[in-house]
Amino acid sequence: MDEPMVEMLGRIGIYAPLFLGAIGSILGCAAGGQAACGAMLDVEGGYGRLIGVSALPSSQTIYGIVVMLSMNGSFQIQAAPGMFAIGTLCGLALLFSGWFQGKCCASAIHATKSKPEVFGLSVAPAAIVEGFAVFAFVFALILAGGLPSAAGGS
Amino acid sequence: MQSYYTLIASLPQLPRAFDDGPIPISAATLRHRVSMLDHHDRQIVQQVSDFFRWDRQPRDRSDAEISATHRRLVAEIRHPLVAQVVHHRFEMRMLIAALRCQRGGLPPPVFPELPLAVWIQRHWDEPCFRLNDRFRWLPRFCQAIEDHQPRRAQWHLFTELWNHWSRLNDQYTFSFESVVLYLSRWEILHRWASQNEQRGRQRFNDLVDDILQTGGVTC
Repeated sequence: MDEPMVEMLGRIGIYAPLFLGAIGSILGCAAGGQAACGAMLDVEGGYGRLIGVSALPSSQTIYGIVVMLSMNGSFQIQAAPGMFAIGTLCGLALLFSGWFQGKCCASAIHATKSKPEVFGLSVAPAAIVEGFAVFAFVFALILAGGLPSAAGGS
Repeated sequence: MQSYYTLIASLPQLPRAFDDGPIPISAATLRHRVSMLDHHDRQIVQQVSDFFRWDRQPRDRSDAEISATHRRLVAEIRHPLVAQVVHHRFEMRMLIAALRCQRGGLPPPVFPELPLAVWIQRHWDEPCFRLNDRFRWLPRFCQAIEDHQPRRAQWHLFTELWNHWSRLNDQYTFSFESVVLYLSRWEILHRWASQNEQRGRQRFNDLVDDILQTGGVTC
C-alpha cells in the first residue's frame, strides 16, 4: 500500500474515536432529550433530573477526545495501521454505546415519569452500558500506549 | 428517520386493566399530542381512528355494507400492524355476529372474505363453531350471553382485545407501532368509560324522575 494511503488511514484512526464517539453522543442525547421533553409535558416537577439523565451519553465524546489526544503524538508511519485499527474499533464501540445508552436513558425517563421511586434503578441499565464504553476507552489507551508513536510508546 | 421519543414519553401510562381506574388522558389532549406526528403517520392514525369510529357503528348496517367496508379497508391499509389490528377486530365482530345469529336460529350472515368465515360456515351447527381452543375467550363470552349478562360479555371481549394489544405492545418501544397500540387501547378505555357514562346518565335521569314524581330522592 502507498505511504500516503497508510498515513491517511493512520490519521483516520486518530480522529475516529472522537468522530464516532461524537456521533454516538449525538444519537444518544437526542433520544434521551426527546424523551425528556415528552415526559415534561406529562409531569408536574422533577424536570432537572429528566434532562440530567438525557445528557448521560455525552461522556462518549469525552472518551473519544482523550483517546484521540493519546494517539496524536509525533506521528510515525509504522504505527499508522495500528492507529487505524485501535481508533476505528474504539470509535465504533463508543458510537454504539452512546446510541444505545440514549435508548436506555429514554426508557429510564419513561419509567421514572410514571413511577418516580424507580429513578435510581431505572438509570442502572444506562450505567451498565456506560461501563462497556469505559472498557473500550481504557483498553484503547493501553493498546495505543504500545504503538511506536504514541505517548509513552516504544 | 422519524423519531417517536417525545410523543411516547408525553403519553401517560395506561392502567394495567381497562376497567382499572379513570382514563389517564382526555381525547382532546391525546389529539393534541398525536399532532406531533408527521403527515404520513397522521394519515395512518386517521385510518385507525376512522376504523374505530366505524366500529362503533349503529346496528342497522347491513352485512353487505360491512363486507364492503372490510374490502375497502384491506385495499387501503398498508401498515402491517394497523392491518393486523383491523383483521383481529373483524374476526371478533364476525364471531359475535355469528353467535348471535346461531342463538337466534337465523342462517349464517354474509361474512367478509376471511378464512375464519369459511370455518364458521363449515361448523355452523356445532357449539362455538369448534373454535374454543383458538379463541379462549369464546366459551366465557357464550356463557355470559347465556346468563343474560351483556355487560359481562362485553367485559370478556374488551379483556381479550386489551390483552392482545398489550401483548403486541410489549414488542415495541418508542416506535410508531407503540403509538398505534396506545391509541387502540385508549379506545377500549374510552368505550368502557362511555358505558359507565350512559349508566351514570340513566341513574341521573331516574333520580330526576323520582324527584319530580315524589318530591324526594329514594336511595
